[in-house]
Amino acid sequence: MTCREALNLVPLLLDGELESRQMRALVMHSTRCTPCETELRQLERLQEMVSDSVNARVDELDLSNFWPNIEQRLGTLELSWWHRLRTWWDTSERRWTVQIPAFAAAAAVIAGLALVFFFRNPQTLPDPAGAQVADNTATIEQLETDADSVAVVNDPETRTTALWLVDDTVPGETP
Amino acid sequence: MNLFGPVLLGTLAAVVGLSSAGYAEDSAAAAVATPALNAVEVRIGAVLASNSGKEFDARLASLHRQFDILFPYSSYRLVKEERRQVPWGGKAGFDIPGGRYVLVVPREFKNDRVSMKVMVLEGSRPIIDTVIALRNHATFLIGGPRQPDGVLILSIGADTLH
Repeated sequence: MTCREALNLVPLLLDGELESRQMRALVMHSTRCTPCETELRQLERLQEMVSDSVNARVDELDLSNFWPNIEQRLGTLELSWWHRLRTWWDTSERRWTVQIPAFAAAAAVIAGLALVFFFRNPQTLPDPAGAQVADNTATIEQLETDADSVAVVNDPETRTTALWLVDDTVPGETP
Repeated sequence: MNLFGPVLLGTLAAVVGLSSAGYAEDSAAAAVATPALNAVEVRIGAVLASNSGKEFDARLASLHRQFDILFPYSSYRLVKEERRQVPWGGKAGFDIPGGRYVLVVPREFKNDRVSMKVMVLEGSRPIIDTVIALRNHATFLIGGPRQPDGVLILSIGADTLH
């Protein structure tokens, strides 16, 4: 690092804005370069003086009424119930005792409304075969047969359920 | 993410929603309980299907499309049609061609469907013994019993009576 580079970095070091790699390089350079070390010490001293001066002036200020004045102003500020509720919601340590039931209630409402909507409007389901096709589908709850075989036909196009028997027996004939 | 607004709205809507759900449930229960479904009218049709000719009985117009798509026959003739009012749990018997007999026992009406037991007997031989749930006013088909001049297709329907 050159002296020019070092002197450019000294103010940044005092402001705490240097990365650790730059800080390390500057300090290493200062230990080997007397002019730069001197410059660094002078700036440190200047910063201390400014800081001391500001602190001295601040100490002279009377801040005894600072917080009472703020509290007095806050006292006149009327927060709406909505704002207070939102503040409590965002900051309360026990808010989850209410939030979890609230989430559950919201989910229950959505599910409930969906069910109500579904059962009140069953006809809104898409009808792939068109509205004019009557629904002749049937649910087979139980089926027994003495025939050779039975086929259950469920045709989506006509929305019809049918049973088809395969039975070679003709009435009056020997099977 | 601040979910305060949606959750609060959801909570408020919970009261309305659950009340509505309860109302809907009550209404649905009332809808099922209110009509005095004392009986059901059972419809039976016996159709002779064959490939001799291209006759389509005009009385089967409502089933034309189903027959065309589901069955491989060119001629359909309604040989018997009968309607009978049956109390729930009661029996209705129908004689059909070929010395066969159809027994229908309506069981209950639930979710707009009529549940009924259907037996097709050939003498004492049950060629079909089934329980179906069929939408009110709909028609269920049973085909296949052979006849000397074709096959028999049975149409079975149910209409609730208030």
